[in-house]
Amino acid sequence: MLDLLVIGAGLTGLFAAYTAARAGLRVRVIAHGAGATHWHAGTIDLLGYVQNGEEAVANWAQALPELPPAHPYRLLGVETIATALGEFQRLTAAAGLPYERLDPDKDILASSASEKRTSQKEGPGQQVDQVKLGRNGQLISPVGAARPVYLAPTAQQAGTLHDDRPVAIAGLAGMPDFYPELIAENLQKQGRPARSASLPLRQLTDRRDHSPLQLARLLDQPAAQAQFAEMVVDVTAAGERVGLPAVLGLNAHLRFLTKLHEAIASRDPRTSQPDGGREARLAVFEIPTLPPSVPGLRLDAALRTQLQRLGVRVEIGMEVCAFHASGGRIHWVETETGSRPLRHTARNYLLATGGILGGGIWADRRGRVKETVFDLPLTAPQTRSQWLRPLFLDRRGHPIFQGGVPVDNFLRPLDQAGAPVYDNLWAAGAILAHTDPIRERSREGIAITTGYAAANAVASGQ
Amino acid sequence: MQTAPMHSVGTSLNACIKCNICTSYCPVSEVTDSFPGPKYAAPQSERFRDFGHPHYEDAYGPISRPLAVGQMPDASVDYCSGCRVCNEVCPTGVRIAEINARARARIVAAHGLSLRNRLLGRNELLGRVGSIAPAIANFILHNPVSRKLAAALFGVAEKAPLPRWHHETLNRWLARTRAQRLRSERKVVYFHGCATQYYEPYVGMAAILVLEHLGYEVVVPPQNCCGLPMLSNGEFGAAEDHHRRNVDRLAEYVDAGYPVIGTSTSCTLTLKEEAPELLDLERDPGTRALKLATWDIFEWLRERLDQGQLPSDLRPVNQTDQPFILPYHAPCQLRAHRIGKPALDLLAQIPGLDLRESHARCCGIAGTYGYKTEKYQIAMDVGAELFDYVAAQADESDLSSNGSVSLTACDSETCRWQLEHGTGLPSRHPIELLAAAYGLYDLQARRPAAGN
Repeated sequence: MLDLLVIGAGLTGLFAAYTAARAGLRVRVIAHGAGATHWHAGTIDLLGYVQNGEEAVANWAQALPELPPAHPYRLLGVETIATALGEFQRLTAAAGLPYERLDPDKDILASSASEKRTSQKEGPGQQVDQVKLGRNGQLISPVGAARPVYLAPTAQQAGTLHDDRPVAIAGLAGMPDFYPELIAENLQKQGRPARSASLPLRQLTDRRDHSPLQLARLLDQPAAQAQFAEMVVDVTAAGERVGLPAVLGLNAHLRFLTKLHEAIASRDPRTSQPDGGREARLAVFEIPTLPPSVPGLRLDAALRTQLQRLGVRVEIGMEVCAFHASGGRIHWVETETGSRPLRHTARNYLLATGGILGGGIWADRRGRVKETVFDLPLTAPQTRSQWLRPLFLDRRGHPIFQGGVPVDNFLRPLDQAGAPVYDNLWAAGAILAHTDPIRERSREGIAITTGYAAANAVASGQ
Repeated sequence: MQTAPMHSVGTSLNACIKCNICTSYCPVSEVTDSFPGPKYAAPQSERFRDFGHPHYEDAYGPISRPLAVGQMPDASVDYCSGCRVCNEVCPTGVRIAEINARARARIVAAHGLSLRNRLLGRNELLGRVGSIAPAIANFILHNPVSRKLAAALFGVAEKAPLPRWHHETLNRWLARTRAQRLRSERKVVYFHGCATQYYEPYVGMAAILVLEHLGYEVVVPPQNCCGLPMLSNGEFGAAEDHHRRNVDRLAEYVDAGYPVIGTSTSCTLTLKEEAPELLDLERDPGTRALKLATWDIFEWLRERLDQGQLPSDLRPVNQTDQPFILPYHAPCQLRAHRIGKPALDLLAQIPGLDLRESHARCCGIAGTYGYKTEKYQIAMDVGAELFDYVAAQADESDLSSNGSVSLTACDSETCRWQLEHGTGLPSRHPIELLAAAYGLYDLQARRPAAGN
């Protein structure tokens, strides 16, 4: 019998399955469709804004006390959050898609990831250095704004705003939904040296309609890479770094990134000096695009590869239509098929189905809000007029987006009386109450840390 | 669940949130510009096709009304292979492949059907005619001159992997071995499909031998083509005739509570879902009863396994000490059942089998798609992901000298032919492996083992 059935295949579900499988549990993942990782910008945003806060959060570890007491981060605490992120970095590094901190003082601090991991193992007596640990970085957003980010993949590292090199934002003429002029103009308004440039896409392909994914597949081909590199070098001035839409290949983008960097650097007298020294900083970076998001697809592929290595099956296309529980325990769930329902039995169940967008919470036009699998109690307002505040950009956010499944410290869903609804059910990710992941810019952080904590809670109960 | 009311084909498009996940996974639009991708071809275009008539229904049935010029589906929808990978990954339950199938049917209803597509939809007829004199039929079909002619005259791809007629149909084998067949109180119905009847009767023999080994009498009532090739080519009227005939022919067994078990994943999917849904027959009682009675054979065997009813006398398939590396591909048609990959659970019971699960999206052939000259190369390009996977398993085995890959396994017949075409390795239905592991079947010669 399975030790754990994870429902949901987004970042939460896949990372929870990975954590549980590494702890020795027999795990399977089922999901209605492919996960929301495909929409992600591919960065790990931990905590960018707190309620009523004007400014972006500079240090998430120090900002935790400003969150509501029932916020998932408050339930977990700094140490668990840091350990979970360390594990995530370990996974992605093993998958060849390393995620690193975007720390402005990274050079001063020693290798942050390993330090963080060892400091966690010292036990509660050892204080985590929250000043060092919690610093957010800032990346250039697709509209040229500052975006608070904690971990970024290599391809986005050089997009940090803590870098005084001037920026050239290069778009592809004919590619929809990426606006270099807008990005450059907004950066200039913030007093940053920036300009825009355009690459002639027609030299690469005859196709008129391009999704980021099609471009990424095109740029997996060596011939297209060579031509593209030439085009990029042509528009780059000495000493600049180049921001490109996140389409630099799917399969081996890091190699291409290096090639682009070398092509630019070899033209640039300043960076080509043999001991130009600390110019290890890349001269190229990616800016996320609208879906399909290539950085999100790369992350999804990395997670799936690691799960395959651990022998965890991920079965997509399975929508839960029924479950059976008695004596405070869930005994099985059933998924819809082309004919009769299919029954799945496990000792424990982890709900990682996402929020309203991911399908974990259903809101109908009459104002009713429902958890879609186990019909769990929700904190969301059940009256439509209370869903939203009158002002769209209200700093407090909107109640409907903060509603979700309330949980205890072990991430077990709670009933109205505050007791666990089922002894063998856990919940993690965007479905949780008392967090507003899109507004807080905590989407990936919530997914990774609560998925990790729930999987560990299951494992320690085994 | 809450999205359930959206599941009817016509209205499911309203659930589309434009997330592009289908576009990310579509294996066809990845390799050709002829198909713009599922999101564009299905939910987005559908909204403009038949404004005011979301269900395509009128007094004459679902798809018969002629459309105004501007509402005719774009011809590019014909490049959808119908693999249903989009349905599988869609997080909100849009019936993308079915929307495309209906759009194709509208084009066929307005512009008619090519002789080639009509022929490809009639594999049952072709099977029956060829099996009158299989040797002659194979000679006529498979010599290079006629393949060139077929390509030039009809547009049937010259290199596409056409099957060979077997010297004995499944029905003739059943008649010949009647005395050996098990009689039992416990009965199941076997739905063989056209390919098993005429081209690969040994797959049916393997299935029948395994079912009998479990103690079940296997009833093989008269049956006809499930209608899928016609549905795929937009010929809905003929498909409905075929489906209704099957419903009638199987009704007495379905009413008696016999499970209807198939080895062809596309036929069983058609009985379960494609015919009821595309032809708007979900409320037809006979159709519904057959839908609920139909099983993929490994779906049914997995139930036996879970209930501890599977005989345990499984032996290694190969005689040597080397582990037997078996790349297994669950075809799209099986994944569309949404039953997981039950063959993996059963094959895992065979000792000494080193089972490798393919995560390739599609082999490319998609029923009759890859047989069309204009689509042959697309099908091969789609299949490259799978062919490369199989090749990688062989490489890996060479390095660790564990032995080489001599076979692949796949549940669907056209996919097996495409796999053989693309990899150069023979491919088997997993039921053949299970039958061989029970000692009932000769995996190399593809016939019942001596004494069966």
